[in-house]
Amino acid sequence: MTITGEVGAWNARGNSAPAVVARGLTKVYGQGDAAVHALRGVDIAFATGAFTAIMGPSGSGKSTLMHCLAGLDTVTGGQVHIGDVELTGLNDKQLTLLRRERIGFIFQAFNLLPTLTAEQNIRLPLEISGRQADQVLFDRVVETVGLRDRLAHRPTELSGGQQQRVAVARALISKPQVIFADEPTGNLDSRSGAEVLSFLRTSVRELGQTIVMVTHDPVAAAYADRVVFLRDGLLVDELVQPTPQSVLDTLMKLEA
Amino acid sequence: MLKTTLAGLRAHKLRLLLTSLAITLGVGFIAGTFVLTDTIEAGFSRKFAAAADKIDVAVLPGKKDEPIVPRDLLEKIRAVEGVADAQGVVRGSAPLIGKDGKAVGDYPTAAVSIPRGRLNRTEITSGTAPAKPAEAVLDANTAKTRGFAIGDTITVLDSENAKHEFTLVGLFDVGIDQELAYYGAVGFTVETATEMTGEKGFQEIDVAAAEGVSAETLRGSVAAAVGSAAEVKTGKSHAADLAKANGADTKILTLGLLLFGFVAMFVAALVIYNTFNILVAQRTREMALLRCIGATRKQVFGSVVLESAVVGLLSSVLGLLTGLGLGAGALALLGRTGLEVPTDGVALAPRTIAVGMVLGVVVTVVAALLPARAATRVAPIAALRSQVEEHTFRTGVLRMVFAGLFLAAGAGVTAFAVATGPGEASLFMSMAGGAVTFLGVLILGPVMVKPLSAVAGWVPRRLFGVPGKLAVDNSRRNPKRSATTTVALTVGVTLMTLISVLTSTMRTTYGAKLDEQFPVDYMVQVQGDEGSFPRALAEDLRTRPELASVVALRRTDAKAGAQGAEFEVGTFTPAAGFSPEATTGSFGDLKAGTVAVGDEAAKALGVKVGDALPLTTTEGGEVRLTVVALFPQANALIPEVTVPHGDFDRYFGALDDGAIFANVKDGVAEENARKAVEAAAQPYPTAMVISSTELRGEFDEALDMMLMIITGLLGLAVLISLLGIANTLSLSVHERTRESALLRALGLTRPQLRRMLSVEALVLGVIGALVGVVLGTVFGWAATNTMTTGVIFQLPVVQVVAFVALSGLAGVVAAVLPARRAARASIVDSLATG
Ligand SMILES: Nc1ncnc2c1ncn2[C@@H]1O[C@H](COP(=O)(O)OP(=O)(O)OP(=O)(O)O)[C@@H](O)[C@H]1O
Ligand SMILES: [Mg+2]
Repeated sequence: MTITGEVGAWNARGNSAPAVVARGLTKVYGQGDAAVHALRGVDIAFATGAFTAIMGPSGSGKSTLMHCLAGLDTVTGGQVHIGDVELTGLNDKQLTLLRRERIGFIFQAFNLLPTLTAEQNIRLPLEISGRQADQVLFDRVVETVGLRDRLAHRPTELSGGQQQRVAVARALISKPQVIFADEPTGNLDSRSGAEVLSFLRTSVRELGQTIVMVTHDPVAAAYADRVVFLRDGLLVDELVQPTPQSVLDTLMKLEA
Repeated sequence: MLKTTLAGLRAHKLRLLLTSLAITLGVGFIAGTFVLTDTIEAGFSRKFAAAADKIDVAVLPGKKDEPIVPRDLLEKIRAVEGVADAQGVVRGSAPLIGKDGKAVGDYPTAAVSIPRGRLNRTEITSGTAPAKPAEAVLDANTAKTRGFAIGDTITVLDSENAKHEFTLVGLFDVGIDQELAYYGAVGFTVETATEMTGEKGFQEIDVAAAEGVSAETLRGSVAAAVGSAAEVKTGKSHAADLAKANGADTKILTLGLLLFGFVAMFVAALVIYNTFNILVAQRTREMALLRCIGATRKQVFGSVVLESAVVGLLSSVLGLLTGLGLGAGALALLGRTGLEVPTDGVALAPRTIAVGMVLGVVVTVVAALLPARAATRVAPIAALRSQVEEHTFRTGVLRMVFAGLFLAAGAGVTAFAVATGPGEASLFMSMAGGAVTFLGVLILGPVMVKPLSAVAGWVPRRLFGVPGKLAVDNSRRNPKRSATTTVALTVGVTLMTLISVLTSTMRTTYGAKLDEQFPVDYMVQVQGDEGSFPRALAEDLRTRPELASVVALRRTDAKAGAQGAEFEVGTFTPAAGFSPEATTGSFGDLKAGTVAVGDEAAKALGVKVGDALPLTTTEGGEVRLTVVALFPQANALIPEVTVPHGDFDRYFGALDDGAIFANVKDGVAEENARKAVEAAAQPYPTAMVISSTELRGEFDEALDMMLMIITGLLGLAVLISLLGIANTLSLSVHERTRESALLRALGLTRPQLRRMLSVEALVLGVIGALVGVVLGTVFGWAATNTMTTGVIFQLPVVQVVAFVALSGLAGVVAAVLPARRAARASIVDSLATG
């Protein structure tokens, strides 16, 4: 695929500074005896233009980490930077505006508004922030996720895989600094999952998008450039250029 | 299954309470009506009984056509054995002259006799009862408002309009006598009262029994003495009869209020129906799970019905309590306005409890039957589906057919009623047509939601950006739900619009008729419009330079036509600028030996222009007149049978003037003209000066008052429908928790999310109001056209616009709490639900 000038400029935003940085991140739910230490001091950086997967056993704090990084939840201690902005200390309005301008989301399910068509769902983030949709980028993204003939359909008329592809397109369209995805393929069969994952990888490779993805699936994790492993709220391991086998081996080692 | 239901109910106490509120208010209003009227009725009965305790036997007029007891009966009764005392009760009118020298009030003051001894039923609150012919008492309220105190000299006119002076020796309480309370009352000794009122007999003769004589025995002996000249009752049965007659009055109040109560219950039923529908939809998965683990359809149905029964029971109990409070509040309010309502605490009759409970439970359970049936249709497999299905709504053929049938029938009946012309039957027919049309609209509702939300959402869509657009989409995503929610509001708005169309049309029509048929600035009338004043008054007015023309009206009753029925016969003195309109013939032909007849009288007489009309006169014997003109009688100022004024004097003698119309000369200031007319009327205490602006003002005030009361009573139905909007919205918010979280994650701020829900409520409110004002206007038009002729339709534009705007606003208010809850929810928690 050829890269148009506009997208090329986006891609050239530079791979120098990390897109997201967390330092000494802690998160405690509840108080006293009932306190749950979901994160116990996580230091991590996510490189711009990289595809990173977060893995770990159930309850290890993956979702919590993602929510804290994305400004959806408040942290108990530590700092989070998205680009040059520090998240801790921002109020709800400022966090909302930050999400609007700089962050994209893909959830496991219920990603789309049932009243809107696929196209309207894709354009929603831009509409909310009052920005004009870049038609070239829109066409490119729609092309990439292969939804051209499905644009006028409502979510109920789309398959689960198609719905997730719409969600991917929506996350890409606002050119966010980072996209957070929590088990985006958790509800899909392996073929649809593979499709979505390759779109994600393509967008990193060709559009220079930064993506952080939580997953349970070693095959999914292998699509990423790097995999980090969490256990009991701590960062315990990481793999660069993972393969399904190497991921599986690391997981086995962790659970042992 | 019972346990599951109850556990479910306990888990959602708040939701339950909100749902109950609709029924609570409806039951509360109905129970309150009963409490109020029962209490009033009981109070009146007790007062009547207390008053009747003092008398043992009452002698009442026996013949229908002569509503008095002959005076000579009194001596006959006093002579009966076993009678300790007998007193005649005189009642008539005797205008009290105020400090300005004019008779007080719009109607002559009532005059009553105050008997002495144990038969006196009037309560003297200060001073003493009149003992001498020159003494009088006043009712406390009149004395206060007219500024009279004990010791003052008061002037009262007798039946011949002659002035008499009395010393005010005391004040009395009119008690529950509404007539005395309304007209004001002056009390004299029995003799003076007879002289002043000129009454030829007694209203009633009260008899006290001697020691040891029972009331029943006395009744027998008195009855034997008076024979058929009068009706004789014991004091007890007389009191019971009075209480019964009074009860008939409260019955009308009860019925009127209940009507509004039933409207409120209907709206509450719609709200309940909608709420249960949503609850069932939301619990699809829960029910499917129950079905999966073996619950039968019947059990699922039973659980929903049981839930509604519990809600109904609870809200009915709360409603009864509310009703008790409402009734007490209304009584306190009535007491504050000075209306005499005797009470001893509020009455909660067993009937009230029964009606309230049964109505509340039955309405709730019936409203929940359809949703319960829908619940049984949930397939067990639904438990396994992850994504809750959107309720796509398809317009069914059956729905269109039924809606079409109802609308056509409603429109047809109404059109027929309007075409038939004014009359009671037509009015009822047009209202029935309205009800049928409303059912049609109810069926058609879901189909109309989409286009209507496009209309109602046009402005918000453009004004409120993304939240506005999403809100308008949300308002129509479940057409059935939106339709039921808004129809509840439509009921109230329709009735409110109908009433304001009626009043504004009546106002305009009346104003136009006034202009057309009452082209005068001032009218001088005898107080209460009965009697006359000397012709000198009109002569005086004619000399006043401020007035352009003066017309005097003279009237009497005389037999006319072949059957010899009584008609009002009269004349008017001609003056420039006063020419009544004739429908056929012409007033120009009204010369000696002719007559003009009102249309209704002409129908009764069976005459038309050119016919001869026999008239029995006092001075000229039987004369045969030629009909030269017919005129519309409604609101006409001139008598139904009008002859030339020269003829009138010959037929009936030089009678006094009954009324005078005067027109102000161009360029004369209003207050100068008024002064001139009042100065001329000053020597005649009972001559009341009325200006047409005043008349219109009074009419306007009465209309406004009526409009206010009815709107206030309909307010309850509107309030309930707003609860419905709040309920629907909060359930929708609950349903869309995930969605809201998603929008927040994508960058919708809290205020934007709140605004989204507010706009949705606004759109719903406006949809309901739009349908309401259209229906109300159409059927208001139909109603006015079936009520009277010559209607000038007037759309109360300001009110109609206000109804729509206020409904929208009310919707926004209803959305405040659900919107707050939605905006407060944590994104992370919300994402985790479902
Ligand atoms: N709102 C909350 N209140 C209390 N404890 C919480 C809350 N959310 C998460 N936790 C706890 O924090 C820990 C981390 O949870 P988190 O959801 O981040 O795990 P996860 O790694 O995403 O697990 P999974 O793979 O099952 O999604 C768990 O022990 C969980 O029970
Ligand atoms: Mg998780």
